[in-house]
Amino acid sequence: MARYVLAIDAVTSPARASLRSVRPDMLALAVLLAIVVFLVIGLSQAFGPAPATQAISLSPGVLPMYAVRTTLRMLAALVASLIFTFTYATAAAKSRRAEVVLIPLLDVLQSVPVLGYLSFTVVFFMSLFPGRALGAELAAVFAIFTSQAWNMAFSFYQSLRTTPHDLDEAARAFRLTAWQRFWRLDAPFAMPGLVWNMMMSMSGGWFFVVASEAISVGDTRITLPGIGSYVARAVEERDLGAIGWAVAAMTCAIVVYDQLLFRPLVAWTDRFRVEQTAATVVPRSWLVELFRRASHVRRAGAWIGSGMQHVARARLALPHHRASRHRSAADMLWYLGVVAVTALLAWRIAQTLAPALSRSDLERALVGGGFTLLRVVVLIALATLVWVPIGVAIGLRPRLAEKVQPLAQFLAAFPANVLFPLAVYAIVKLGLRAELWLSPLMILGTQWYILFNVIAGASAFPTDLREAAATYRVHGWKWWRDVMLPGVFPYYVTGAITASGGAWNASIVSEAVSWGPTKLHATGLGAYIAEMTERGDFARIALGVIVMAVLVIAMNRLLWRPLYAFAERRTRLD
Amino acid sequence: MADAPLCELEHIVKTFALPSGADMTVLDDVSLAVGEHEILALLGPSGCGKSTLMRVLTGLIAPNSGSVRYRGKPLVGLNPGAAIVFQSFALYPWLTVADNIGEPLRARGLDEAATRAKVGEVVHLVGLAGFEDAYPRELSGGMKQRVGIARALAVAPEILCMDEPFSQVDALTAENLRSEVVRFWNTPQTHLKTIMMVSHDVKEVVFMATRIVVMAAKPGRIRRIIENKLPYPRDYRHKDFQRLVDEIHAVITETELPDVQPAPAAPARGPAWEPIPDAGASQVIGLLEVLDDHEGHADVFQLVEYIGQEFGRVLAVTKAAELLDLVDTPKQDVVLTDDGKRFLAASVPERKVMFRERVKGLRIFSDVLAMIDRAENRRVESDAVLEMLALRLPYEDPDRMLATLINWGRHADLFDYDQERRQLFTEEVAAAANG
Repeated sequence: MARYVLAIDAVTSPARASLRSVRPDMLALAVLLAIVVFLVIGLSQAFGPAPATQAISLSPGVLPMYAVRTTLRMLAALVASLIFTFTYATAAAKSRRAEVVLIPLLDVLQSVPVLGYLSFTVVFFMSLFPGRALGAELAAVFAIFTSQAWNMAFSFYQSLRTTPHDLDEAARAFRLTAWQRFWRLDAPFAMPGLVWNMMMSMSGGWFFVVASEAISVGDTRITLPGIGSYVARAVEERDLGAIGWAVAAMTCAIVVYDQLLFRPLVAWTDRFRVEQTAATVVPRSWLVELFRRASHVRRAGAWIGSGMQHVARARLALPHHRASRHRSAADMLWYLGVVAVTALLAWRIAQTLAPALSRSDLERALVGGGFTLLRVVVLIALATLVWVPIGVAIGLRPRLAEKVQPLAQFLAAFPANVLFPLAVYAIVKLGLRAELWLSPLMILGTQWYILFNVIAGASAFPTDLREAAATYRVHGWKWWRDVMLPGVFPYYVTGAITASGGAWNASIVSEAVSWGPTKLHATGLGAYIAEMTERGDFARIALGVIVMAVLVIAMNRLLWRPLYAFAERRTRLD
Repeated sequence: MADAPLCELEHIVKTFALPSGADMTVLDDVSLAVGEHEILALLGPSGCGKSTLMRVLTGLIAPNSGSVRYRGKPLVGLNPGAAIVFQSFALYPWLTVADNIGEPLRARGLDEAATRAKVGEVVHLVGLAGFEDAYPRELSGGMKQRVGIARALAVAPEILCMDEPFSQVDALTAENLRSEVVRFWNTPQTHLKTIMMVSHDVKEVVFMATRIVVMAAKPGRIRRIIENKLPYPRDYRHKDFQRLVDEIHAVITETELPDVQPAPAAPARGPAWEPIPDAGASQVIGLLEVLDDHEGHADVFQLVEYIGQEFGRVLAVTKAAELLDLVDTPKQDVVLTDDGKRFLAASVPERKVMFRERVKGLRIFSDVLAMIDRAENRRVESDAVLEMLALRLPYEDPDRMLATLINWGRHADLFDYDQERRQLFTEEVAAAANG
């Protein structure tokens, strides 16, 4: 495109022509430079000699730097998640034996509440780098990593399993080695799904980074410079204005991340979609367009790109597992081995925990679990009743949907825990019952998943089915029951699964919230885990986390999986 | 053949495990020698194993037993002299035409300059000059196949294997491409010695091939090998061309619609069942209507032309109609029987009754009905029926047979299928009425 511009301007003035063609390059360079500077400053601070507990200033001026630090932690976790995804998911997809262990393990890991891990990992990382900020940073990054990696790994694994057969055959027939096939076929094919899941994971990530920047586990205290700890300090000082500034800074951070990382990624990976006809809505990103027009920068980038392609095409011979004749016997041994190791681990854990716990602890945890379960179920039901009709109404109006979708996605990404202290302030001011009014907090941030998935479902609803319903005069409740609800059902279930998982995680920071010296407390498993974390009572933390994990897994198997299977079987539109 | 064969396949047997657990024999003791400088065509209806045979030759699939030799030496892994052109083109959507063609070359370690030169040469050869930077989604089917052919030619294979290359390309472009492929074969520049193509189109095969291998299905085996000595360029309308086409038609009907039914393959247990061809009830009735338009009789290949589908499909529908005694197939003709004529003259409810009578007369249906009657609540798990099908009809795909069984059963009001619970069942009332 730059060349075309040159041709026209050459008639007027050669000097002006070259300037015009260089402007995109300058802009692109400026953006690149800003990103590099931000990375360098942030990284140097993280690896510096600062202690784990730092004084947090409440002046708005430090917020940009704090926002940079928070964003950097997200980025580091993302890179770690990608590395994990490429190794773990590939191993599970290519090796049947590894699959038997890895996929159920992923399932369990997805169900353990992230903030439950946090207490253990904080202590672990702090012990590696005692007194220094690095240990705390790693703990925070690890918390975010655990909230993103499982999701991405699962998506990558599924894409690897569903690579189009004819493309795979062609790759084999033309003698591409396994390494080459992975980088030239499997990975590109998996890109769109992976990037979409990365975006989803990111949405949740902000919540955890904010929660993990200022925590105390017994005697170990961490305060890392970042928006999360800024909010924690503001809560201690009861500074409403500071919280307002924090919300503004958070919003900026999310928008910048979205524009500079995700929209470009989604726009770039559109080329990897395997539909044979061009998509109706092509995702656009100003950043990608900018870099496309910056020809000099692109040429430099192309040099790096060809280097990477060279690596991808290396004729490496990966170890190839020859299917042996006695497959079933070896498989049997493998399964038995896995079961034995799992049983051993479970026994060891039980042995370690049992002496420290009593029957009343278990009862307390179970009762708390019951309360939290009740809250989750009721709130998801309420959110469904409210947001499904609204989501459908919006989704059926494309222009409105176009404006509302990004807003809903932003709301889903925004860490609602920044606003929890405000809720405490309101509850105390209005003299409301904490037990009842703390409950909605856990769905505050996660209800948006239901909304934007339903909007997506309604937008994707085939026009000819809508027209058929109109011609046959299907109205009112019948229209909902026979036309629209089945149509958006798969999308709804996807959103509800995410919302419910998020609600469980949120319970740990929403059932026990403080505002200054005022601490509000609701009966529930989340509050139990939070209380034990503060006390540093590891055995009871473990108990709480295990009970929550069991409840989440049970809810998944008994409610969400069957619903999802039903959605796949009966209500898919293809 | 004068010189030693390029490739030899001896006593190839290949079975596939079906999802229901049964084994299906796709190739049963097939032996074939592929020579230098010939165009060999594998012709047959779908399910005869021709694509599988090609993949065994190229080394993509290993046979259960039998040997594959390339230039006298046993084949280990992929055949070094073969390149494949795929039916569905198999182009990477995220690579341009030039990148798609150059991918195998780069993967082999060829340097950038040499790759670009080779790609340029081949692009010109197939007539895609100017499209090097286009993406596959911008191309038509015919152009995508040109890219597929270019990609195969770029690696300079000795055997070019084409798997139904023009079945997903529009008819006019396909005509064009057929002549071009023959031209490539005759051009020394391409270094092409042999082409092996898989096809279900008789005319295409007579137009292109020097040797035609007619295959039969269930199980897959070679029925006859016919030499095609017509001189190039060939003319569809020439009488020798037509004569060869007729000869091949005769071989096919002899195989697929024999005048004397061969005894069904010995079953593992119980008396023999006749396999039901893969044809829906409405298609069978449609065939009757078409015959009616042609005054009650037509040549089977005339029907194939008229209906416009692959001949395997039309033959399946004809066999189904014959099984129900609605048509007769003397030699190559399809003739309405008296029953068929009465069926056409009847009203819709009468047709249902007639259809039911015919279907009940088939052993497979009476046995399945007996199974349902004996069962509790008159409901039978579909898995149980699948097992029976796999046992009694070892050469058929049980899932496919079950689907056809259910289709005919529903049409005849004999039984129904509960998809949620995966059971075949009859309603009490209907069962009582039938007696």
